[in-house]
Amino acid sequence: MIIKVKNLVKRYGDLIALDHLSLSVNEGEVFGLLGPNGSGKTTAINCILSLLSYDKGEIEIFGQPMTPDAYNIKRDIGIVMQNVAVYNELTVYENIDYFCGLYVQDKKLRKKLVDEAIDFVGLGDFIKFYPKKLSGGLLRRLNIACGIAHKPKLIILDEPTVAVDPQSRNKILEGILELNRQGATVIYTSHYMEEIEQICSRIMIIDKGKAIATGTKDELKAMISMGEKITVETYSLSEEQLSRLRKLPNIASAVYKNQTLEIKSNKGQNNLETILDFIKREGIQFGKIYSEMPTLNDVFLEITGKELRD
Amino acid sequence: MFAHIFVNRLKCLLRDRETIFWTMMFPLLLAVFFNLALSNLNNGEIFKAIDIAVVDDNNYQYDQYFKVALDEASKGDDRLFNLTVTSKDNAEKLLNENKIAGYIVVEEPIKLVVNKSGMNQAIIKSFIDNYMQTVSSINSILLKNPAAQQELISSLSERQQYVKEVSGTNAEPNNILNYFYSLIAMACIYGCFFGMREVTDIQADISPLAARVNISPVHKLKAFIYSICASLVIHLFEIFILLMFLRFVLYVDFGPKTGYVLLTAFLGSVMGISFGAFVSAIVKKSENIKIAVLIGVSMTGSFLAGMMYQNMKYTIAQNAPVLSYLNPVNLLTDAFYSLYYYDTFSRYALNMGFLCIFIVIFSLGTYLIIRRRKYASL
Ligand SMILES: Nc1ncnc2c1ncn2[C@@H]1O[C@H](COP(=O)(O)OP(=O)(O)OP(=O)(O)O)[C@@H](O)[C@H]1O
Ligand SMILES: [Mg+2]
Repeated sequence: MIIKVKNLVKRYGDLIALDHLSLSVNEGEVFGLLGPNGSGKTTAINCILSLLSYDKGEIEIFGQPMTPDAYNIKRDIGIVMQNVAVYNELTVYENIDYFCGLYVQDKKLRKKLVDEAIDFVGLGDFIKFYPKKLSGGLLRRLNIACGIAHKPKLIILDEPTVAVDPQSRNKILEGILELNRQGATVIYTSHYMEEIEQICSRIMIIDKGKAIATGTKDELKAMISMGEKITVETYSLSEEQLSRLRKLPNIASAVYKNQTLEIKSNKGQNNLETILDFIKREGIQFGKIYSEMPTLNDVFLEITGKELRD
Repeated sequence: MFAHIFVNRLKCLLRDRETIFWTMMFPLLLAVFFNLALSNLNNGEIFKAIDIAVVDDNNYQYDQYFKVALDEASKGDDRLFNLTVTSKDNAEKLLNENKIAGYIVVEEPIKLVVNKSGMNQAIIKSFIDNYMQTVSSINSILLKNPAAQQELISSLSERQQYVKEVSGTNAEPNNILNYFYSLIAMACIYGCFFGMREVTDIQADISPLAARVNISPVHKLKAFIYSICASLVIHLFEIFILLMFLRFVLYVDFGPKTGYVLLTAFLGSVMGISFGAFVSAIVKKSENIKIAVLIGVSMTGSFLAGMMYQNMKYTIAQNAPVLSYLNPVNLLTDAFYSLYYYDTFSRYALNMGFLCIFIVIFSLGTYLIIRRRKYASL
């Protein structure tokens, strides 16, 4: 067990930012913390790191209680904070070297690590640049390099891709998977479900400081009653046909709007087949038909009654 | 670890042009500016004995008292006048050639002839007025009590001494020193910008950068101390440059106690940095508000210590002496001043004592705030 958090409670005045949050992260996982803005992701991370004081709860990392002076624990953690934190007066190289140097004293080893980190985030052409001269995406990459250069066993990334263009974003995500393959356990927070789905092996969804569901993405999707979502483009659909459709087994809802029929099915087998049969039987002309599996957004929607993203 | 943090910190701070400007270039520029503005004042005020003449006629020769008074004022190294005793024509000629500031004709009342008005003329005039006032009081007293003559004569010479001191002190070139001393004090307290930055970069609830340092396996207070050492070194160096510049380029005199002058500058720098750290730690507001507080306090302190208007210092000392001890800028200014003026150390020591109390309060306050390593909110 890399991280174990039990009944963590954190209040900001009257606001309960974390409400008896418990979680555990296993070695070798990419653990995703998914929640809308303000759900308490950053607060949870900062409590785990002993940066924030909390009202209640227990936190263990690598099997030991985490405190501000648990230096042997801290030595093996790498953090990429939500806010870019680099020295404006130090160049790209110097910044990475500085933060790496807080963990690694040996100069030779450090040089190797810094060079690797620079390669890793692809900042080779920019080592002499000052942070002010870097674009947003490059700056984020520098921020990441500063956090992971010392090759930590546990890497915590708090929304490292905010305000990053898709290309940089993909590079970052691939990089995180690479670090994981090299043996690091990763905690990744985001409010982008696509990112979380793409890289995380286990996911915890939180809302208002409470864990509402935990599991692999398939497990999460299995938790809800919704099966696939089937969309049919068609120009002709009568009210009667629509109501006959709704009576088919396993259909949760069917809405016809703007020449598009949207059907949500309950979990079950052969849902698509049943609908295709129905369309054929009724002789409905159609353009495209496609079927989607439920997303994490649907999971969130079903559990909380609201959309993950506004 | 010390070397790693210290060296990187030096790099950071030295490349922070804005701070370097305010802590080093600004005081140097002010010094140059002061020098330009004050050099006129300086020329006008350095007291040189005034060239005068007195018309050598019977009146003069018979007026023993006045003759003695005038001779007395024209003797010695710190004399008031360079006196020429000459004929009226020659005196007139000297005056026209601007060789003398004025000449005196002894008649009833004593007459001063000048061809322009100025500081020197005013001094001669006040000398004569003083003399005549004294004479008239002597006369009136002698009429009543002839026995008091001897006593009066000695009081007369005291009076001259007084005249000389008034004009002499006002004309001391050293008065200008106070401007420069308060400038050094200001440069010292401007170290607060370094102190502020040190706290900003170590308090995770102020900057994300600090959060990153806080989660690294380095003891927070150690990281802070290593880092603030770099600030202190840079600021001391800046103050040293300022002192060198003042001493060897602008020829500002610090007196002979060089070691103590350096000690004062050192403590001043420590005070400035700890002051900034304290304000930054205790004012839980945006950086701009902190800067406003720092500049406000520094400038008010410098003003009250007489940096813009020298008599301010004395006004405070007379009317609200407590204030002069509560103002670290004034303590520093006065410390330099006492080193220059006094042979004894009591006033200097008093200033330094108060300064140290400030340093202790600022440092302790900062320590109590930053020693906490978990934050209630980030
Ligand atoms: N310093 C603070 N003081 C008071 N309330 C705070 C503070 N920091 C966060 N909060 C509140 O605590 C809750 C959780 O905030 P947190 O930053 O942990 O959310 P988050 O999930 O990281 O959001 P985001 O996706 O925007 O980063 C929010 O309601 C926020 O308003
Ligand atoms: Mg956050």
